[in-house]
Amino acid sequence: MWNQALVFLQALLDQTGAAKFWWGNAVMIIVGCVMIYLAIAKKYEPFLLVGIGFACITSNVPGSDLILEGGLFNYAYQGVQLLIIPPLIFLGVGAMTDFGPMIANPKLVILGAGAHLGIFVALIGAKAIGFTLNEAGAIGIIGGADGPMAIFVTMKLAPHLLPQISVAAYSYMALMPLIQPPVMKLLTTKTEREMGMPPVRKVTRLEKIVFPIIIAIIVNMFFPGVAPLITMLMLGNLLKEVLMVDRLARTAAGGLMNVITITLTLAIGSTMNADTFVTFNTLLIVFLGLVAFVFGTGSGVLTAKVMNVFMKEKINPLLGSAGIASVPIAARVSHVVANKANPNNFLIYHAMGPNLAGVFGTAISGGILLALLGAQ
Amino acid sequence: MIPDTLDGAIILSAIDFFLSFIIIGSIGIVLACFPYLNRLCEISDEDLKSGH
Repeated sequence: MWNQALVFLQALLDQTGAAKFWWGNAVMIIVGCVMIYLAIAKKYEPFLLVGIGFACITSNVPGSDLILEGGLFNYAYQGVQLLIIPPLIFLGVGAMTDFGPMIANPKLVILGAGAHLGIFVALIGAKAIGFTLNEAGAIGIIGGADGPMAIFVTMKLAPHLLPQISVAAYSYMALMPLIQPPVMKLLTTKTEREMGMPPVRKVTRLEKIVFPIIIAIIVNMFFPGVAPLITMLMLGNLLKEVLMVDRLARTAAGGLMNVITITLTLAIGSTMNADTFVTFNTLLIVFLGLVAFVFGTGSGVLTAKVMNVFMKEKINPLLGSAGIASVPIAARVSHVVANKANPNNFLIYHAMGPNLAGVFGTAISGGILLALLGAQ
Repeated sequence: MIPDTLDGAIILSAIDFFLSFIIIGSIGIVLACFPYLNRLCEISDEDLKSGH
């Protein structure tokens, strides 16, 4: 009878998630807790890390049906899988963004391409260590420092790598104030960092209204692969700039953006299950993401220095690293480094130009990648 | 289209990096023409805000 009781108790235990718990789940629960700690104590991207951390913790508790088919987190993931959420994020981003600095100084737009060498260094590195070309392309796009674009391209090229790539992309974006400055200081002299920039021209309302229309036409015509993202970015921006539909612009940038952010963070966190995340490939992807950011920062600064060889009006090379698409973090880093070298230097408005151009640079790089890999 | 080899990765990267410069540069040229738009008409913020 005692043996029978033990058998029944064992069967009862086997019904619970505790029987399936393994050390990988414990690791990922700790990872989720660290994310929440970083969000609260260090104020690193709290809007993202709180949700991602919480969903990571709950998805690593075996027995939870939130991540199973029909579960709430699974429905959130459908929004990512069906590529609905990333374009809606860009709608909100467009409604919050002033593209005036980019329109005012078209010369600096080229830095939005120059700062993307990191994408290709990471792509080649990933291929060299054994990933497929599609996987390497998805890993490389981390270097674009654009979360929705990284998700979009990854879902088309290597959806099984979404958890690692999205976590790497968003984490490194938050860590840019730590990653970028040493590279920027290594590649510039103090004199270069102290360089001031002349005031930029005022951009008119007409220009700001025409801009999203022109860009939407160009992107839809030449880059259909990434058109959903950029089109929604431009729609959001048009809603903002026409001034007559401020209620819609406020909704896109406010309530809708908040709902989508909550959904996205649950979706990303729910994919961080130990079975797929605690692998050697995750460490490789995290390392390659760092390589991408370092090379992107360096190539942006060097692109600015090469431009100075040909330009009469020199630009501060620190603007080059702002060409990485993490808006406005990369621009802020350029401003802070320049301001530390010269307290009279306020580069934030100038740095926003290449920073915004970097969004298009990542979209163009991603669009060409999708086209060449046949993954439209 | 592109072979799944290291050479393919290098070719893909070179084409993508080079083309993105060309395309972003073209967008820069389009933006450089934007000041000419102001010769067509002028839009005031007050007119737009009073429109609803």
